[in-house]
Amino acid sequence: MKKFDMELTVGLFIIAGIVCLGYLSIKLGRMEIVGSRGYNVYALFSNSGGLKAGASIMIAGVEVGRVKDITLQDYEARIIMNLSRDIKIQEDAIAAIKTKGLIGEKYIEITPGGSDKIIPAGGRIRDTQPAIDMEQLISNYVFGKL
Amino acid sequence: MKKEIIVRFGILFVLCVFVAPSVRGGVPTEKIKETTDKILAVITRPELKGPAKTVERRKLVRQYIDERFDWEEMSRRSLGRHWIKRTEQEKTTFVALFGKLLERTYLDKVEGYSGEKVDYMDETQDGDYGNVKVKILTMREQEVLVEYRLKKKNSDWLVYDISIEGVSLINNYRVQFNSIIMRSSYNDLVKRLEEKVSQE
Repeated sequence: MKKFDMELTVGLFIIAGIVCLGYLSIKLGRMEIVGSRGYNVYALFSNSGGLKAGASIMIAGVEVGRVKDITLQDYEARIIMNLSRDIKIQEDAIAAIKTKGLIGEKYIEITPGGSDKIIPAGGRIRDTQPAIDMEQLISNYVFGKL
Repeated sequence: MKKEIIVRFGILFVLCVFVAPSVRGGVPTEKIKETTDKILAVITRPELKGPAKTVERRKLVRQYIDERFDWEEMSRRSLGRHWIKRTEQEKTTFVALFGKLLERTYLDKVEGYSGEKVDYMDETQDGDYGNVKVKILTMREQEVLVEYRLKKKNSDWLVYDISIEGVSLINNYRVQFNSIIMRSSYNDLVKRLEEKVSQE
């Protein structure tokens, strides 16, 4: 009887451990179990600069969504963004791929526009600014000086 | 056999006539090219050269730019969400100021033209919006990629944003204007713009 209790406790602990592990990997891996909430919009960038699915989408530095998918369309990066439902993006908003710090990870910053038209679910953010290629900039600067 | 050849030539002819122009560029590219050519003609015209003719030359260039650029759209976009809060009077003042700011900032650079080549590369059209990609080849064989973003307005194509090497002009001003307005006020922004414009 006493031995059985011991085994039960160990078993419970192990199950609790596995649940915790599962929770952690979902949280850290930014996976979503019950499908993504919010709505999707897409944008075309001439250079995604190695942006990854799951990267943050920010307005004024506040996270408002995540990158859902990145595919190639006619040699341009088509990025699908999943935004929270309460965030409204104006038709003339600009989406720019930026880097946290100088060599940090990439994210998308949306600067809101002044139009009264709102982009519907599945719509497109027309104006984009691709990732800036530091190497290219430096080489332009270097060769420009010659 | 002969018939087949005729048919093939026929198809080729149709392709040349109808497909080739759309591949080379449509109306937006034509419009950009027209304006660019007009401005370059003014700058390179011998009788308009020299400092004595600066005022006249600038007036002409500004006139051609005004024909192609939609200042109101650009001002609206660069003010972003602060645009709606402005009164009609403030909007008119701002549009004029913004036009002058760009004139001051970029006209000198246009005047520094020294035989750079302009290549019209690519064009995309999507409803009322168009994109024209242009490559400017400097004398040092450097390439600068410029993208004009146009919007159809009253059956004419007008520029509302320019992106140079991927950096959008409107986004640049939108971020700057927003941060000035958030830190102080709209009136302060106007004051700063006025100072900048009146500087010689």
